[in-house]
Amino acid sequence: MASFDVNGLSAGYGEKNVIDGLSFSLESGRVCGILGANGSGKTTLIKSIAGIVRHDGECVLDGVKLERLGVRKLSRQIGYIPQRSGIGIDISVLDVVLMGFNPHLGLLEHPTEDMKNRALCALSAVGLGNAVQKNYMHMSEGQKQLCILARTLVTDGRLLLLDEPESALDFHFRYKMLNIIRNWVMKDDRFALVALHDPMLALNYCDELLLLKSGRKAGVLCPGRDSFEKMEEYLSQIYGSVSLASCVGRSGRRHIIMLNEGEDEK
Amino acid sequence: MNIMKPSTDSPTARIKVLCAVGIVLMLVLAALSLMVGKYPLSLEKLFSGDKMHRRVFLTLRLSRTAVGLVGGFALGAAGFVYQTVFRNPLASPDIIGVSSGASAGAAAGILFLTGSAAVTASSFMGAVAAVALALGLAGLDRSAKKGTIVLAGIAVHSLAQTALMCLKLTADPERELSSIEYWIMGSLNGVSADAVYGNLIMCLLCLAALFFLSRQILLLAQEEGEARTLGVNVGLLRLIVLLIATLTVAGIISLTGLISFVGLLAPHGARMLSKNNRTGTMLLSGILGAVILLAADILARSAAKTELPVSIFTSLVGAPFLIALLARGRNGYGQL
Repeated sequence: MASFDVNGLSAGYGEKNVIDGLSFSLESGRVCGILGANGSGKTTLIKSIAGIVRHDGECVLDGVKLERLGVRKLSRQIGYIPQRSGIGIDISVLDVVLMGFNPHLGLLEHPTEDMKNRALCALSAVGLGNAVQKNYMHMSEGQKQLCILARTLVTDGRLLLLDEPESALDFHFRYKMLNIIRNWVMKDDRFALVALHDPMLALNYCDELLLLKSGRKAGVLCPGRDSFEKMEEYLSQIYGSVSLASCVGRSGRRHIIMLNEGEDEK
Repeated sequence: MNIMKPSTDSPTARIKVLCAVGIVLMLVLAALSLMVGKYPLSLEKLFSGDKMHRRVFLTLRLSRTAVGLVGGFALGAAGFVYQTVFRNPLASPDIIGVSSGASAGAAAGILFLTGSAAVTASSFMGAVAAVALALGLAGLDRSAKKGTIVLAGIAVHSLAQTALMCLKLTADPERELSSIEYWIMGSLNGVSADAVYGNLIMCLLCLAALFFLSRQILLLAQEEGEARTLGVNVGLLRLIVLLIATLTVAGIISLTGLISFVGLLAPHGARMLSKNNRTGTMLLSGILGAVILLAADILARSAAKTELPVSIFTSLVGAPFLIALLARGRNGYGQL
């Protein structure tokens, strides 16, 4: 049975706990967004599950405790996209994507032709098919993020963790990236946990929303199912007084818009 | 699907051409290095079995050229590894104290031992002890972060410098002190056949290990957390790679003394020419290192009546190159 559960997760830096006893579950084939104000623990939560930040509690994926896995086994289970990749050397876009096969390669092995072809397919899927030999360092932040997405897709993990991937992306790329993630998650009943800065993007593209406030769970919302009243109540705990409205685009797709109703608007 | 197969091969083809040109240049310089010196050799006399020619060739020139070739290659390739692992365009073996350890070891050898082979062994032991201490200290922090390694290196460097100063204070100013200073200036002059080949074999083995690990070395060129989620045991791999790279360098500088700029210059030159950081670029960096050191050594023994330290010539090329690099603002790591 596909499942991902986080039980009593606490994590922080030094003495201070940024995440405090957090528990939640994800359904497979659905994209879960994490919303919260700055400092609410979104990044720490993503990094804890990814095994980058030490934590108490447990993360259980398909019955396996991630904390018990070694680095290589863990990397076969999860894919991680940071806010900005730390690659700082001249390297081709294709070589960056080929790094994604490392969890499946031995220490001295090199990517096979089949892997190279799969990397090229992943680059085409994210719209970088004509940039395979470009220098990664010379690309825009948005293109870099798409390149890292392609790398994460070839890793072929069960759980995708994204830390505010939209922060470096312009309007068009934001929706493109989330659509790619949605299709990827639905294809093989995988899981995606996406920390998002933009609540409207989260409301329109995530199946579920985990709301964080001061490192604790403030609620879970399902934008397609929950009423506007309920969502406004929960979102107001994080963003101050807000209201939601609905509008229909020319394509006929329904969009949720969040409006600030706080004192500063009057 | 739009797959641009032809363009996939273009950087590889570029590196292959660059490496081929570099190898030809390296071999020409190696041939020149065999012939040039205070005692000029001629092929005719060498092949006719002239005893003096054969002796000079076998005991002096062959070992000296081998050290120039392998040593330059090792310094260039190891420099590439250091800059990639530390993600710092100015990273070099000095960063974890290998040069200062080798200097202190050589000084101890000059003071307390006899013979150039003993000095080489002592210098090598000094370099290895410094590296073992730096990496051991860094290993106390289980994450083995880059910053921890650099801090440990600075501490070991200071310790080794203090030891070197103490040794210099006790040295005879007429004889031993000048030998220590000359060793520190670096030269391929003192290289003798009996002490060379063990070090060179070790260097070649370490270089082979580095090339086998080249894909892993590239994975270290990103944030630690990011590399970890790609299945890299960052702390352990970094320690292993640095240990191998440092042993390579220690094997060379224990023979030659300190040689400036080759480890800095060659990787930048390779990246500027290849515009990439693949395994081929590491190979090109090694070839450029060999070209630089062989050329500098040929100049060192032919530019003046007396033999000059090789670092004078590597620095003469290296310093303007570094300034040009700063002026261009491009170094393979974004902005310097």
